Amino acid sequence: MKKVLAMVLAGGRGERLYPLTRDRAKPAVPFGGIYRIIDFTLSNCINSDIRRVYALTQYKSISLHRHIQIGWNILSGPLGEFIEAIPAQQRIDEHWYQGTADAIFQNIYTLQQEKPDLVLILSGDHIYKMDYRKMIAFHIEKAADLTVAAIRMDRKLSREFGVTEIDNDWRIIGFQEKPEVPKVIPGDSEGILASMGIYIFNMELLVRRLIEDARSDSTHDFGKDIIPMMIGKDQVFAFDFRHGDVGRMGYWRDVGTLDAYFETNMDLVSVTPQLNLYDSQWPIFTYQPPYPPAKTVLIEEGRVGTALNSIVSNGCIISGGSVKGSILSPRVMVHSYAEVEDSVLLEGVDVGRYAKIRRTIIDKDVQIPQGMKIGYDLDEDAKRFTVTGSGIVVVPKWIKL
Amino acid sequence: MKKKILIVEDEEGLRLLYKEELETEGYEVLTARNGKEAIKILEEGKPDLVILDIVMPVMNGMEALGRILGKDKKIPIILNSSYPGYRQDFMSWAADAYVMKSADLEELKNKVKELLKKGKA
Repeated sequence: MKKVLAMVLAGGRGERLYPLTRDRAKPAVPFGGIYRIIDFTLSNCINSDIRRVYALTQYKSISLHRHIQIGWNILSGPLGEFIEAIPAQQRIDEHWYQGTADAIFQNIYTLQQEKPDLVLILSGDHIYKMDYRKMIAFHIEKAADLTVAAIRMDRKLSREFGVTEIDNDWRIIGFQEKPEVPKVIPGDSEGILASMGIYIFNMELLVRRLIEDARSDSTHDFGKDIIPMMIGKDQVFAFDFRHGDVGRMGYWRDVGTLDAYFETNMDLVSVTPQLNLYDSQWPIFTYQPPYPPAKTVLIEEGRVGTALNSIVSNGCIISGGSVKGSILSPRVMVHSYAEVEDSVLLEGVDVGRYAKIRRTIIDKDVQIPQGMKIGYDLDEDAKRFTVTGSGIVVVPKWIKL
Repeated sequence: MKKKILIVEDEEGLRLLYKEELETEGYEVLTARNGKEAIKILEEGKPDLVILDIVMPVMNGMEALGRILGKDKKIPIILNSSYPGYRQDFMSWAADAYVMKSADLEELKNKVKELLKKGKA
């Protein structure tokens, strides 16, 4: 068995998710009621039997560190297993990480200590279910130096992705970062093979290429610099995500924008979500404080506590209000006569009596006063809150209403 | 113009020997006694190449290597040690050459010449 070390890049600022990322890094953004975005990648590691995992953090990392320390302290230290967050330490040089490759280079001493055979580089920003063992087996079978996981995307989306060009053997023969005119998949003129930001490297070669990159004029990015440098020189292959896709739905999301965040959450309250959270063979782990079960109360004329087509997390009380098509994180209170529809309410939100909330994301612990309406008059909402292109209102943390 | 070489070496005798020998070769020579001094002199003296001992007090060569590259990622660096073991240290791979200390300075001088030539091209 090859010794594998996973390094999860968890330093992303997630600027397009602002204000949800005002106080936390993107991987720490709550998702699907009880999860944080990084839980999906970490669960993939555990379910793939990868038990040596570092998460490399950088900006606004306190809540991410706390989540990993409290929620992911589930492995056995004496057996050499760990999931640990490493903050940017400026150990090699006195600057923040300059790119994805620099983040690994700055942690070269960690590689030195662990001495894995293979390094699995992951992003803490994506939501998907993948068996990394399939990719590792492919990497070994091809005797690859670098394997890049790739997923078919519509060619119209090429400007959002690194696009791989492959030959019949899935060897990568070209790589363009966010091209306007992409190389399409052979035999599929509407499709491109997009890099998922998931890489397996032979450790020693990784170190050598990172050093070369560190000493050259470069943006120190895997997609822009390292992969192009290695093509034609080293054994570089693409791994077809379909062969490792646990859900078999081709589900992989970069919840990079507020609209994408909203839609990805909303998918979960559909009858058969694309992302199946109920697969006992592939559990998604997270940290949950010991809150009591969710409950609904009151059945009176015009004052019925209900939740329909919704996810309701522990600690929630829906007391005489109505919730439809929404996601309620733990400890949400919905008071009498209030209406919550097609919304995402993060932990501890309190919706006062007669308040009406529609197509709105409300960040942690916000108190919605009695009778307030949000999501009904977007011009009015835009004066106080973020309103996205598709009309989703985002109410930030700490706001006094 | 004379090429400038920074010698980072804690042992005084060796430092003087290197300085003399390299000056005879026609280089201008700066010296530092440890990694920390080296970084200061790097900024003030703007050398064209660094010869870096590894085992030194205050700041060792391996740490200094990272710091020097952080300030000037292109400057040629020769690690110069009595111990071959530091080749196992990944950071040592970031140096342009690893030359073992020896009474005969021929190898070191040749490396200096070679790397300075490469830098010019």
